[in-house]
Amino acid sequence: MILKLNNASKIIKSGGKKITLLDNINLNVEEGEFISLMGPSGSGKSTLLNCIGMLDNFTEGTYTFLEESVHSMKEKHRSKLYKEYIGFVFQAYHLIDELTVYENIETPLLYKDVKPSERKALVADSLDRFNSVGKKDLFPTQLSGGQQQLVGIARALIGKPKLILADEPTGNLNSKQSQEIMELFKQLNSEGVTIIQATHSETNASYGSRTINLLDGAIAS
Amino acid sequence: MILNYIKIAFRSLRKNKGYSFLNIFGLAIGITCASLIFLWVEDEVSFNDNFAKQDQVYYVPTNQEYEGEWRTFYSTPGPLAEAMKTEIPGIVRATRSSSDERLFSIGDNAINRTGRYADVDFLEIFSLKFIEGNKENAFKNPEAIVLTQETAEQLFGKNVKALGRVIKVSNRDNYLVTGVIENLPSNVSFPFDWVAPFERYQDGAEWMEEYGNNFSDTFVELSPEANFETVDAGVRAMIPIKDEGNNDYAFLHTIKNWHLRSHFEGGKVTGGRITYVRLFSVIALIILLIACVNFMNLSTARSEKRANEVGVRKAMGSSRSRLMVQFVAEALIMSFIASVISVLLLFLLLPQFNLLIEKNLVLGLTNPFHIAVLFSIALICGVFAGLYPAFYLSSFKPVEVLKGIKTTSGSASFIRKGLVVGQFTISIVFIICTILVYQQIQHVKNRDLGLDKDQLISMRTNQEMIDKYTVIKQDLINTGTVKNIALSNSQLLSGGNNGSGLEWQGGTDTEDVLISFRHVSEDFLETTGMELIEGRGFGENIAKDSTNTLVTESFAKLMGTGSPIGKKITRDKDYTVIGVVKNYLYGDMYGASDPVMFFNHNDYARYLYIKINAEVTTSVTLSKIEAVMKKNNPAFPFEYTFVDEQFNAKFKSEQLVGKLSQIFALLAILISCLGLFGLSAYTAEQRRKEIGVRKVLGASITGIVKLLSKDFLKLVLISIIIAVPIAWLLMSDWLQDFAYRIEINWWIFIIAGLVAILIAMATVSFQAVKSAIANPVNSLKTE
Repeated sequence: MILKLNNASKIIKSGGKKITLLDNINLNVEEGEFISLMGPSGSGKSTLLNCIGMLDNFTEGTYTFLEESVHSMKEKHRSKLYKEYIGFVFQAYHLIDELTVYENIETPLLYKDVKPSERKALVADSLDRFNSVGKKDLFPTQLSGGQQQLVGIARALIGKPKLILADEPTGNLNSKQSQEIMELFKQLNSEGVTIIQATHSETNASYGSRTINLLDGAIAS
Repeated sequence: MILNYIKIAFRSLRKNKGYSFLNIFGLAIGITCASLIFLWVEDEVSFNDNFAKQDQVYYVPTNQEYEGEWRTFYSTPGPLAEAMKTEIPGIVRATRSSSDERLFSIGDNAINRTGRYADVDFLEIFSLKFIEGNKENAFKNPEAIVLTQETAEQLFGKNVKALGRVIKVSNRDNYLVTGVIENLPSNVSFPFDWVAPFERYQDGAEWMEEYGNNFSDTFVELSPEANFETVDAGVRAMIPIKDEGNNDYAFLHTIKNWHLRSHFEGGKVTGGRITYVRLFSVIALIILLIACVNFMNLSTARSEKRANEVGVRKAMGSSRSRLMVQFVAEALIMSFIASVISVLLLFLLLPQFNLLIEKNLVLGLTNPFHIAVLFSIALICGVFAGLYPAFYLSSFKPVEVLKGIKTTSGSASFIRKGLVVGQFTISIVFIICTILVYQQIQHVKNRDLGLDKDQLISMRTNQEMIDKYTVIKQDLINTGTVKNIALSNSQLLSGGNNGSGLEWQGGTDTEDVLISFRHVSEDFLETTGMELIEGRGFGENIAKDSTNTLVTESFAKLMGTGSPIGKKITRDKDYTVIGVVKNYLYGDMYGASDPVMFFNHNDYARYLYIKINAEVTTSVTLSKIEAVMKKNNPAFPFEYTFVDEQFNAKFKSEQLVGKLSQIFALLAILISCLGLFGLSAYTAEQRRKEIGVRKVLGASITGIVKLLSKDFLKLVLISIIIAVPIAWLLMSDWLQDFAYRIEINWWIFIIAGLVAILIAMATVSFQAVKSAIANPVNSLKTE
């Protein structure tokens, strides 16, 4: 089992009122699963992904990631954990505009203190795999949306994560580009990477092995 | 990793050209400005450093009491030096010394050079380095003279042996060159081009051997083991012991204080140029601070642009400290680029700055100390300016920024506003100071001097000139360009030549009053434009007026009620007062001058004053005067100064403060405006959508300009409120130093405030108008 949520909730205070963003989520994710989170806007898909990704915290309940309890962990340890095992893919790609394709992909390795020679090899492999060798010196603004998202995925994968969290990865793409990205996800999944994606699209959801519907912060089904 | 930071930093510099320009340019101006000041400070604090015996050499000034007040003079009695050397243990060397200007001629080659007559110990005390000859033999010959290399070269030419050559001095005496010494640097307190034995100056004058006459500079050297307090006590006791009834006392003033701490009040050191050195050092730091503040402001204002990157990097696993390192590294790169630019600026500006401060500073990039200072400035600026933005930017939470939630926290915008207020406060203080310093200088310059300094030429005299005075006078008047000429023993605007112990009718405790003595020819009052308010001036018959005297009003006041005319004053003999001259200003231009007593004879004449005809072109007049001088005084080069220039020179340090504060005010405002410009640009961008919506809803352009400018106006108003009391305190303190000073007027603060508002509004409205006239369709579409 890769992660386990037990009665995990997120409740924030806004203007004196309590707002429940996530409500008693119970979820087990096994290694190798491809989960699609669905639900209307505001149902808590992104919040759940961020909390699982440890960029955000649950306020109640327990969260166990690879047998370690995240909810009682110190910030430093937590960041070490997600740096090691989790890769993020964003709807708006979030590439760094000042960096080339090559450098964008390389960034997570820098933060993991990977040796230069090893970095070079890993990035070269990745560029090969995504057929982007010719584009390695281009800047994000010189690429199409689909190409940017490919770089985003390459970047998420470079650290060999166990889990990929993708928040509407195709939200800014046309249908053809979307299809390509989803095919890629499916292939990655078949190679053993666990994926959780948030999506609005039934078509995209169908690529996954399991669909979880969220409504007002709670799992509906 | 570091390489990666540098790469990104350069790319983001290139990508945001406007922002980078504002930042780097602002910092470069700040660093340039600070570097100039530091160069000046270095020169000031290194005065007299070239003399090897820094811990042993002392000047010996005297404190003298007049009317209950101790005043400090650099002149000492002649025999003091020898007496101290023989009687006070610990003083190993001592010298009398007098500065003088002499004409040197070798055939037709004639030059005026200032130098010193001194005892042989002078050579050792100042560790003079001999190129030709040596210390031991230099003063053995009574006709000896030691020249600096530069003077020797001017007289004999380059690479020519000067030793053993004979120079004609003052077109009269022969001096034998017994040594050539290395040139002195420009930053010494008592510069000299030559040194000759004191005996030649004394020329047998017995009054120079008496304790009652203060005329000589005295320098001493203490042995390295000597205890300063003991020796100083001995020096203080010396004059009263040697000269009974004389309560003057000498004391030791270390060479390290000659330049920076030589202002005395009540007989004690109260400071001096050190005040300006401190003041300008603080100003340098303030200018740097303003430039760094710009950097902080622009960086945090731009945070929205960087927020996304921060979020992504954090999601990729960057720790906060790594992000901070990255941002500080970017700031460092900017400050290093700025310092390279400032080196270029320094190359361009240093000659101008040298003209302004009348120094000859060099950039000295080969000097490791200079490089180290420049490097440190860049480093400190980079870290200081980069730290706050780094701290602020790295605090962003990835979840929020990646979702596009507005991150401008209240605290950051509060700090930003505070920084702008700080910048403008400093700028306004500078503006107020500039106005007040200018006013004060003008105030003193427009003071009623009691004489007419315009169209008045001053020349040094020599014996031949005095001998032929009547002829020269007639020839000059005949040219039609000269109205009047007169001789005097003393420079019109200078102090000195004074004494006490006089008695006069109608006064009590008269011995205690310090009186200045002026020995002048008969046309002196007419020539200098002094006003006779009672009685008559000196007649043309010198013999007839030899026991008559003129006094100034302030002297007349000391002679009791009723007219002073006919009263007797006793100095060396009795003099009868025949006229009263209106008080005139000399010595300290800010204070009240001591009473003056005029005598009518030319025996001690050292200066010739020529009142020229204002209706004739000055160049014509000068050439006619030169012709007369060439005819009657051919051996001496024609050299002259205008008295109004001498007058202006008296305000040098105040004028320097004035000019520098002008420049700093301008720069402070310029840098602050760069910051404000950048800040308003970002505010406008931030509020683009709001402006678009408002325009669609029917807001007018003026309404939007007002909306955008209002906030900045508030900040400037707050700055004015803070700046006014600060400036008022600073300037009242500065003005305290001047006896004759302006009152601080309230309207100056209003003017300074208005200037600041105008400048700030001009800067801000540019952006405001730009965004107000933008088409709302464009601003609403972007997402």
